[in-house]
Amino acid sequence: MNKIEDIFLKIGSVDRRWIFIVIAVVVIIPLLVPIGLPIRATDTSKSVYDAIEALPKGSNVLLSIEYSPSTKPENHPMTISIMRHLFRNDQKVYITCLWPDGQFMAQDALKQVAEGEFNKKYGEDYVLLGYRPGGEAVVKGIVSNIRKLFSVDAKQTKVDDIPMMDGITNFKDFDFLFSASAGYPGTIEWVQYAADPTGVPMSSGVTSIQVNEVMPYVQSGQMVGVLAGMPGAAEYESLINQKGSATSGMDAQSVAHLVIVLFIVLGNISYFIERKRSRKY
Amino acid sequence: MEFSAIIGAWVAAFLTIGIFSYLYKDNPFYKAAEHLFVGVSAGYLLSLGFWTQLQPNLFGRLFPAKHYDPDTITYTIYNFLSFFSSSIFPEGGIDKGHDQHLIYLIPLALGVMMLLSLIPSFSWMARWGIAYVVGMAAGLKAYGYLNSNVLGQIKGTAVNLLDFSLPVFSLSSPSIFNNLIIFVGTICGLLYFYFSKEHKGLLGRASKIGIYFLMISFGASFGFAVMGRISLLIGRFTDLIKFSGSEYNYATFWVLFIIVGVLGYAAYREENSGVIAPVDNLGSSTEEE
Repeated sequence: MNKIEDIFLKIGSVDRRWIFIVIAVVVIIPLLVPIGLPIRATDTSKSVYDAIEALPKGSNVLLSIEYSPSTKPENHPMTISIMRHLFRNDQKVYITCLWPDGQFMAQDALKQVAEGEFNKKYGEDYVLLGYRPGGEAVVKGIVSNIRKLFSVDAKQTKVDDIPMMDGITNFKDFDFLFSASAGYPGTIEWVQYAADPTGVPMSSGVTSIQVNEVMPYVQSGQMVGVLAGMPGAAEYESLINQKGSATSGMDAQSVAHLVIVLFIVLGNISYFIERKRSRKY
Repeated sequence: MEFSAIIGAWVAAFLTIGIFSYLYKDNPFYKAAEHLFVGVSAGYLLSLGFWTQLQPNLFGRLFPAKHYDPDTITYTIYNFLSFFSSSIFPEGGIDKGHDQHLIYLIPLALGVMMLLSLIPSFSWMARWGIAYVVGMAAGLKAYGYLNSNVLGQIKGTAVNLLDFSLPVFSLSSPSIFNNLIIFVGTICGLLYFYFSKEHKGLLGRASKIGIYFLMISFGASFGFAVMGRISLLIGRFTDLIKFSGSEYNYATFWVLFIIVGVLGYAAYREENSGVIAPVDNLGSSTEEE
């Protein structure tokens, strides 16, 4: 028995760099050799899909990009899937960015989806209004008068010269909002200053870390569903039947979680053995 | 494959592996990547902020092309500024679709005052700009929090425990059991933060249940945090795998080989010198010998 306990103690005191190597290996192997674990959509992801599916053709949808390349693996697949869904249903997409890097991420997604896959026309089917600094002040500005804040789009074209901006003066002119968010300013600010005061329905795709912060808004009905981290993005990819980077990352995610759980269990066993022995002596 | 894409892949591989090298220990590759990130981010933010907000929305309202008249004082100043930078102040006024609003001189003045904090004798003026920002933000936040986080959440937790049209139990959709959990969790969680009475008896038991709810919430937060970090790791590894291909001239392998080689050599020299020197002083161990 003592020998087994000694093994656990040795595992408990292993250099943390070995743990990093193990995690790296278990993440890389499923990326190279996919397992193809099944993905089932949760109710919160289905709600987002249903809300977008229920929009009439030609609805004005505001898509706000609030993330940077640092959270690209989680947020970008969501943005791409949402864009695919919107363009497939012939919705008009208006894109704003509360984060400076968001403009760059939006351009990347638009190049892939709007231009590459759907051949949509800029200014008629979609418009990139771009980034404005100010956080919640920008959200308030969009709610009261979007034209005061965005006199030009990201290409420096005057919004008055953009056909799909006709009739768009404030947030109430949009039928739906989707916020792809990685923190502040983001989803919470859109709920507080736009969706709640105006009643315009909104959904969000957030990083895993934000899920606990955002979930109360979904529970209370202030938001229509949420895409939660990489699993949320993978679920949405399966809902629109177009697999992407999130789906391929889910195998690695699942295996890594199992290994982390194993490390937590081993660490706890080691801790309790150590505590028992220290009490003894 | 374009040459710029290949260069980009090499830079990305170097920065990613440079940051990962911190897991071994602090070293110059990590520091270089970190400093580059901070510098580039700050520069990008400043540039984008200026060209998307200050130039079109502030200068564009003070000197709009619509009202250009070189004989007025405003546009005499404009033409003087234009002499220094014609890209910021183009000839004939700034054409961003605005009318002239000289009231925007107030935010301009407040912004300049904030910059005066860099000059010690005028730094007191920065307080005015800061006071405006603090006051505006506090007012804006108070309304948002009260409406969405207080009233909205009270409404959301006011569930009907006797709604028999709902199923008794469901894992994620509304059910009598879930409503009961929301009710008990909210009440007990709030009671845990009630400090005007000693947590004994019924209040003690309720606050203890509140602690369990909080612990479950912290556990969920931890789980999501782990999931988020693993997702980001997957993203980096996906890119590194992509950059290890022949079309990128095996960027990942070469960069990995060079960084591991240099760090390994530094560790070898350190061990043989018998001096525990920080690895970020590569090459200086000879002097210490």
